Amino acid sequence: MTDLVTSSISLFVKSSPKAVVVVDTNMHIIGYSDVWLKDIAKSKTSLIGESYYNILPNTSDEARQMHLHCLQGQQIASKTFKSIDTFGRIKWTKCAINSWNNENGIIAGLSIIEEDITVDRHREEVLLKAQKVARIGGWEVDLRNGQVHWTAVTKEIHEVPLDFQPDLETSINFYKEGTSKDEITRCVSEAIAEGTSWDLELQIVTAKGKELWVRAKGETEMFNGECIRVYGTFQDIDEKKRIEIDYHKVSDRLAMATSAAKIGIWNYDFEDNSLHWDDITFDIYKADKNTFAGYETLRSILHPDDYDKSVKAIKLALTGQKEFNTDFRIIWPDNTIRHIKGRGAIIYDSENKPIKIIGANWDITEFKNTKLELLRNNESFTAIFSNSNVGMTKVNLKGTMVEVNDAFCKMLGYTRKELLNRTAFDITFPDDIKKSQTFKKRLVSGEVSSIQAEKRFYHKNGTIIHSMISITSVNDINGKISHLIGQIVNMTSRIEAEKRLKTLVEVTKGQNASLMNFAHIVSHNLRSHSSNMLMLTRFLNLESDHSEKQNIEKMLGNAAESLNETVHHLNEVVLIKTGALETMKSESLLNAVNRVKDTLTGLIQEKNAVYEFNICKTHFVNVVPAYLDSILLNLFSNSLKYSSPDRKPKISISSEIKDEFIEIKFADNGLGIDLKRHGKKIFGMYKTFHNNKDAKGIGLFITKNQIEAMNGKIELTSELNKGTIFTLKFKKA
Amino acid sequence: MKKIQTSCIIDDDDIFIYGTKRIIQEVDFCEEILVFNNGQDALTEFINLTESGKELPSIIFLDLNMPIMNGWEFLEEFTKIENNNKDKVMVYIISSSVDPRDLERVGNYEIIHNYILKPFSAKDLQSILVNIAV
Repeated sequence: MTDLVTSSISLFVKSSPKAVVVVDTNMHIIGYSDVWLKDIAKSKTSLIGESYYNILPNTSDEARQMHLHCLQGQQIASKTFKSIDTFGRIKWTKCAINSWNNENGIIAGLSIIEEDITVDRHREEVLLKAQKVARIGGWEVDLRNGQVHWTAVTKEIHEVPLDFQPDLETSINFYKEGTSKDEITRCVSEAIAEGTSWDLELQIVTAKGKELWVRAKGETEMFNGECIRVYGTFQDIDEKKRIEIDYHKVSDRLAMATSAAKIGIWNYDFEDNSLHWDDITFDIYKADKNTFAGYETLRSILHPDDYDKSVKAIKLALTGQKEFNTDFRIIWPDNTIRHIKGRGAIIYDSENKPIKIIGANWDITEFKNTKLELLRNNESFTAIFSNSNVGMTKVNLKGTMVEVNDAFCKMLGYTRKELLNRTAFDITFPDDIKKSQTFKKRLVSGEVSSIQAEKRFYHKNGTIIHSMISITSVNDINGKISHLIGQIVNMTSRIEAEKRLKTLVEVTKGQNASLMNFAHIVSHNLRSHSSNMLMLTRFLNLESDHSEKQNIEKMLGNAAESLNETVHHLNEVVLIKTGALETMKSESLLNAVNRVKDTLTGLIQEKNAVYEFNICKTHFVNVVPAYLDSILLNLFSNSLKYSSPDRKPKISISSEIKDEFIEIKFADNGLGIDLKRHGKKIFGMYKTFHNNKDAKGIGLFITKNQIEAMNGKIELTSELNKGTIFTLKFKKA
Repeated sequence: MKKIQTSCIIDDDDIFIYGTKRIIQEVDFCEEILVFNNGQDALTEFINLTESGKELPSIIFLDLNMPIMNGWEFLEEFTKIENNNKDKVMVYIISSSVDPRDLERVGNYEIIHNYILKPFSAKDLQSILVNIAV
């Protein structure tokens, strides 16, 4: 090797922009470029004649081998080497090694062009790694030869082996049937025809059958108006897409929920004081989206009376004194007032400064109205309960009265305190308790929801209160029976009136019956006399015998007399029945008895009777005096007439007060009457019970009529051959 | 015409008894007439008759309104006692009562053959005789 050659090489390479070093067969440096000296050798002094390996001791074995091979005549393409520099850093070097020949054509050395590609290589590596991490693969289709190339990541995404050879058709067939395949087919066709690009998120089905979301991007390369190449990236975005889809699902659901629940969402930004409403808020406020002017619109919709309140609520929320939770009213365009509930959460920045308030509001008008109605119902119920003239009581399920109104207290004569916490059964008339308990059972079991019935209570003073009750069961919010409400209408006066009416009807019936009786008596008695007279007159006409004629005439006279007497009796009865009550007055019972006794003095002496009066001087009776005399006279004389011949007649008269009556007992020890046989007709007209010629069967009939005409009563007990006791009752005067 | 052996009047009205006796004789109604002033007397006598083996009157004229034992009470007792009669005893109610309740009660006694309203006449007796003959 000549110095000339060496120096010319040296000169030649010195100013090369690349790092070039020329060595001889011994790897001794014979020339280099400045760039090599500076960048590769990192030296400032001349290195001519130095051993290459001395200068670059870190040269890899692989490189050394290559140098050797090259010196032996092999053609070596450029090669990239990895080395670690003196600082331990990885260094990538791209080498182009060429042998050079001397003038004899013998290899005289090597020229090594070294390029530090560490930075590029690094960048490339990062990119690869990034692609791998981001699962971005590449692909290209050369339309001129139909060859399709997929990068490793692309293959990985498709889950095919690395030696997989795709073509255009198989590539497209990986896309999922339906939208994904249709879309990619359309895009690829368009791209090939018109050179358009695409960027789509589609689903593929991998070789292993897995569904994946991918982002497919495609570009075209046109040449002479013809698409010659289609290439692009292919990214696995499955996870992201699924999260996104889930998110959409959740937010869709939320949107649906808020929409269905008619919950409007709004936010207020403090930075620019802007207010944003969602569609539902607009709907709730019946505001026009197009003329929406933020806060001003809200202000115009708010009920003027609630404006200050709402502003205050926001201020309180902002200062953290109270969370934003407020009711306010708005006015719809048609002037209806709606109640709105608003709740909001304040969002703070990292410095705890409020940025915005996000809130929800919804229409609570129906709720408010229901609440108001309930309140009103409650009020009116309370008013009805306390002011009603109808007795009312609230009874719990045990039957205890937990509330009573004044009317009920008044009806029963108790104070509220006395009634509360007692059961309704405590004041129920005993005969009605069982019935009431059955009612309660049926109501509490839910068998019926209301019952109406007649029921009797005891007034505090012991009298019976007749009532009409209506009990209704009341349900609590869960539909369970919580208590009973009883309404009690006092029917006592009505019932009493009914009773009086019944009595009156009875009396009338009795009077009708007695009138009917009387009519029959009249006809019977008159007829018996008249028929006798008729018969006698017929005989008289036929009779020729004088003495018999006289006999008949005498009988005819008797008959006429009897008829007269009967008419007289009947008249007496009619008189009693008509005008008795008009002449009633107070009369001393003792005086009347003594008067009658005096009248009968003769008979008393004749019968040798004794009498005993046990009558209080103060006993005055309300009677028609003449009737009283007649009654006493009749009874007294009966006792004497029907006295027993076996014993000395004894008559005792006593009196005592029984309620509003004076009861007189008139007892004798006479013959007595068989009440079993004659009980029913004892006071009948013309009923006689003894073989007594004087008996006409008119005395007791008139006596009874007189007593009843004076609203009195007469009863008797009697035993044959023991005596008779008449019990008389007259109204106390 | 078959003549009746004995008939009986039970009535408390003397005039009626007189009249009835008279017309019985007029139409030659029967051989013998028994008279009682109330049901009790009649009943007592009837029981005696039966006990002594005699027959009771075959026809009884019975009043309703009487003291001590009235017509209805008498019938109640009479239907219970025995008799030795070959033929049935026939009772005729003779009363001035037009009370429908009395007329109604007649239906309760098979023994009652008729209810005859006072005044009682010869005509009534004759029709009884005709009835019996038939």
